[in-house]
Amino acid sequence: MNWRKIFAIVRREYTERIRTKAFWIATLIIPFLFVGLFIVQIAIARKSGGERRLAVVDMTGHLYAPLASELTHPASVTASGEEMTGEAAAPPKKQTIHWVVEPRPIVGDLEKTKETLRKEVLAKKISAYLLLDPARLRKDEVEYYSTAVSEWMTQNQLERAINHVRLREKIVAHGLAPEVGNELDKRVDLRAFKVTESGTAEEKGAGIIAAMVFFFLMYSTFFMYGYQVMRGVIEEKSTRIVEIVIASVRPTELMLGKIIGIGLVGLTQYFAWSLIAMNLSLPGIASLLAGSDMAPKIPLSMLGFFILFFLFGYFLYASIYTAIAAPFNTDQEAQQLAMIPMAMIVSGIAVYPAVMNNPSGGLAVFVSLLPFTAPLMMFLRTALGQVPAWQIVLSVVLLAATTVGLAWFAGRVYRVGILMYGKKPTIPEILRWVRYSPGKAVPAPAAREGL
Amino acid sequence: MTMNITAPDSGEIHVLGKPMDRETQNRIGYLPEERGLYRKMKVLDHLYFLAAIKEVNRETARARIEEWLDKMELRPWLNKKVDELSKGMQQKVQFIATIVHDPEVLILDEVFSGLDPINTALVKDYLTAFRAKGKTIVFSTHVLEQAEKLCDEICLMAKSKKILEGNLKELKRTHAEGQIRMSLRASAAEVAALPGVSASHPVNGAYVISLVPGTDRQAFLRTAIERHEVNAFSDREPELEEIYLHAVQKAGLAETRTIE
Repeated sequence: MNWRKIFAIVRREYTERIRTKAFWIATLIIPFLFVGLFIVQIAIARKSGGERRLAVVDMTGHLYAPLASELTHPASVTASGEEMTGEAAAPPKKQTIHWVVEPRPIVGDLEKTKETLRKEVLAKKISAYLLLDPARLRKDEVEYYSTAVSEWMTQNQLERAINHVRLREKIVAHGLAPEVGNELDKRVDLRAFKVTESGTAEEKGAGIIAAMVFFFLMYSTFFMYGYQVMRGVIEEKSTRIVEIVIASVRPTELMLGKIIGIGLVGLTQYFAWSLIAMNLSLPGIASLLAGSDMAPKIPLSMLGFFILFFLFGYFLYASIYTAIAAPFNTDQEAQQLAMIPMAMIVSGIAVYPAVMNNPSGGLAVFVSLLPFTAPLMMFLRTALGQVPAWQIVLSVVLLAATTVGLAWFAGRVYRVGILMYGKKPTIPEILRWVRYSPGKAVPAPAAREGL
Repeated sequence: MTMNITAPDSGEIHVLGKPMDRETQNRIGYLPEERGLYRKMKVLDHLYFLAAIKEVNRETARARIEEWLDKMELRPWLNKKVDELSKGMQQKVQFIATIVHDPEVLILDEVFSGLDPINTALVKDYLTAFRAKGKTIVFSTHVLEQAEKLCDEICLMAKSKKILEGNLKELKRTHAEGQIRMSLRASAAEVAALPGVSASHPVNGAYVISLVPGTDRQAFLRTAIERHEVNAFSDREPELEEIYLHAVQKAGLAETRTIE
């Protein structure tokens, strides 16, 4: 193993990739895209505040008045309730919807009324209308008509208001005081604390978001950069440069250099992203999130696990992609086999909800020990909760062993494959390459050195 | 095989007097027939890269690259991508890449392909200079004239078998068949009528004449001078191509491949 030569390969892979426009576009655009998406979302959420003109056709005759006051003055409905007045004094929330409610009598028959209202909605005189039909209400249903029926927040608020009004009505009907309604309406807020071995109970929430970000970062890297390794190998083959390089460098050295170089490109991109994210998020997102406790605090252990599992996982998948690329001359030919690592990576995403729900369940333990899913899954588990030390150790050992084994395998396939042109080799042929060891051409063949 | 691209079925490889190893690999310059350069890389970067994997340090590499960029008249293109160069220019880049580590042994496969006559002459001059410096050049080509002009030792191969090997001059001598090249004012019939001529055919205003074995060449020349106006007379050395075709026929093979 000649590190000077490997370094030359690494440097070429790295600088050539860093120089491409595609790299810079991805590096600069993606964070802005994310932040932009975030801002747009918040803007939409804010815009969803503002005025809503709601027409109410009340066929029960008694629901309109409490509903209107519930919507327009959420706190004043039961002015007697101490707490409600207290809450009313609190500053209004950011995304307040300002309701303007008007009653509509039934003019002529119901259908005619609906038709008029429909036209008014279309003419934007009103934003929506509500139909309070006793027959429907018996089935606990209310009809809502609007051009935008996906306004989640608007509808949610409306639904809550109607429920509120009905609850109070029922309470009064049962001969209880209206204040009881407020009491009954109270919900508990489940505050989760994470129990760790060090005994301290730290609140999570932000930690989970950070873990998710890391998780998907790792996931996309295995995909993108593993695939890049494959493309690189095939490109070298198809341009025949590999013959020139192999005249100076051992195949194993070329492979290592390539994997390391491309991996460094990935790390550089992360670094750039986190720099951009910090600069953008501090004044931008932070102010938008001000008040909420969303500001992510990343525990050091999570970062450590991320780096550990990222390195092993990347190397594992890069080796697989190398072995897949080497025997073929075009991307298309390699594409079929490229489905294998892809499926392995995606399977991690497939079981991820199950692992989230039960991080110490049987399935979670299994996928976090299985080397192909371990990088993603064990990382997720360590981020979600306490994982027994033996499981972490076993997972890392299995992963490391598999990575080394696969890198060795890939090295052998690569060594023969990169110089094979012409017809597409079959799987048995490829396996024969692995067993084959070169003659005495070179005193210390790459294979004997392993990695 | 020498370059570790394929493995030998049996035997060992000795280069520069010792078994092939990594250190020896750095003393060889290899230019394959199939050109290989990273298409998106700039010429200068590419040369530095190829020098680096031969373990040439950057200062030395810079000096050599500078020197050869001038010699090969590539300076205006050094910041162009390989993709943007013509085939001939790529070939010149490839040539510099082959010699940038100042190898003692050069293995060149069809080095002139894609080069125009001017550049062919340029490369040929440098190859001759290398030979004068005592470097070994293994020159593989299908174009026998090139081999004839450049090489000392010849190895002719057909269907992966060696059919002829040896010093070029000696080969020519042993394969000379007593032919004469004569330039004279006479018709083909008159030439054929000269005593001792077994066969003759006109080539470029002269005649290539085969004599009946045992004919006294001096006597033949005297007769020719008496009868016609003779401008030139020489022994004709066989061309490599003829030697090759002859050897292939003798070996019962028919394909072409030459190595010095």
